[in-house]
Amino acid sequence: MFRNFHLKDIIFLAIIGIIFGVIYLATGFIYNGLTVLLTPFGYGPMANDITIGIWCMAGPLAGFILRLPGAPFLSEFLSATVETLLGDQWGASNILSGLVQGIGSELGFTITFYKLYNWLTLVLTSTMMTATTFTWDWFRNGYSHFTPSMLTTMLIVRWFSMFLFTGVLVKLIINLLNRAHVIQRISK
Amino acid sequence: MNPSLKLLLLLLISIEVSFTDRLTANVILAVILLGLLVSQRLKWRQLLWALCLPLIPGVAVMITLGAYSGHNWFLAWVMLSRFYVYVLAGSTLIFTTTNLELVRSLEQNAHLSSKFAYGTLAALNIFPTIRRSVSRIQVAGQMRGVTLHWWSPTLYFKAILAALRWSDQLAQAMEMHGFREGKARTAAETIIIRKRDWLILFVSLVILQGLLIAFP
Repeated sequence: MFRNFHLKDIIFLAIIGIIFGVIYLATGFIYNGLTVLLTPFGYGPMANDITIGIWCMAGPLAGFILRLPGAPFLSEFLSATVETLLGDQWGASNILSGLVQGIGSELGFTITFYKLYNWLTLVLTSTMMTATTFTWDWFRNGYSHFTPSMLTTMLIVRWFSMFLFTGVLVKLIINLLNRAHVIQRISK
Repeated sequence: MNPSLKLLLLLLISIEVSFTDRLTANVILAVILLGLLVSQRLKWRQLLWALCLPLIPGVAVMITLGAYSGHNWFLAWVMLSRFYVYVLAGSTLIFTTTNLELVRSLEQNAHLSSKFAYGTLAALNIFPTIRRSVSRIQVAGQMRGVTLHWWSPTLYFKAILAALRWSDQLAQAMEMHGFREGKARTAAETIIIRKRDWLILFVSLVILQGLLIAFP
C-alpha cells in the first residue's frame, strides 16, 4: 500500500502535518476556552466535539491532493505523531488518536474505491471519522460514562464539526488548489 | 533504553490505561513517569508545563463526570489521572530521546523503511522554517489589508504551495547527497537492542499488568 509513496510525497505529507500542527497549536486556546466556558454547564468535554474537525483536516486534504491509497491515513497519522513530538496537550495518546483518525479518513476514500473526489467523498470521510473518533473517545475520554442524551448531542455536534472543517473548509482549499492547477500536476 | 522499545512501551501503557479504569495504578504510573522526567534534570519550566497541560481537559471531564453526568467521583479522578499518564508518557518520550535517535532506531531496529524515517525527519527538521513561513504568509496578507485567520482557506492554500516547493527541494537535496529509496544503507551510528532493553520492556510490562490487576 505504501510502496507507491516516494520520498517527495512522504516529506510533503509530513510538512502538511507540521503546518496543520502549527495551526492546531494556535487554535489550542479555542479548545481550552470552550472547555472552561462549557464546564459550568456540565458540557466541558463537548469542547472536544466542537473542535474535533480542526484536528482532522490533514487526512481528507492529503487524500484529495495526492489521490493515492494510504495518503489520508498517512497524513493524519504523521500530523498526530508530529504534534506529539512537538509536545502537545494529549501526549503519547495523540499517536493513537492519529491512528484512529487516519483509519476514519482512509475509510471514507476506500468506500468510493479512490475513484470519486467530490462532496460525497467529503461527507463519507466526515461520517467515518466521526464514527471512529467517537468510538475511541468512548474509551479514552470516558464517554461511556455520560448520559445517553448528552452523548447524542455530542455525536451530532461532532458530525457537524467534522463536516464544517474536514468537509466545507477542505473543499474550499481544494477549490483554490484546483483553480491554481496544482492538483492535476501532482496526482498525475 | 532503546528508543523503539521505549516508544512501544509508552504506547502500550497509553493503550492499557485507556481501556481500564484504575485510579491507584494510574497515579503510580504517573508518579513513576514523573520521577523519570525529574531524573532527566529538565528545566523546571518544562516540567511545570508538562504538569499544566492536562489540567484543563482533565478537570473539565472530571467535573462533568463527578458533578453532572453519572455523579461518579471515582471515575472523575480516574480520568484526570489518565490524562496525566498520557502527557507524562509523551513528555518522557520527547525529553529522553532526540528525534534523530528515534528515527535511527525505528529504521534499524523496527525496520521502518528509510524513506519514511528520513522523509519525516527532514520535515521535522525544517519545523522552524515552516512556522516562520506560516506567520510570514499572515504578515504578507496584513500588508495588503487582508487578515488571514486560521479558518481562511487562502492561508492553507499558500502554505500548501510552500509545502510542495519544500518537499521537492528537500527530496532533491537528499538524493543529491546520496539518499536512494529502497537501497540498502550503512549506518553511521548503529543502534542495537541490548538484552537489558528487552528485560526492561518485559519487566515493565509485567509490573504494568500487576498494577492494573492488583490496585483499584
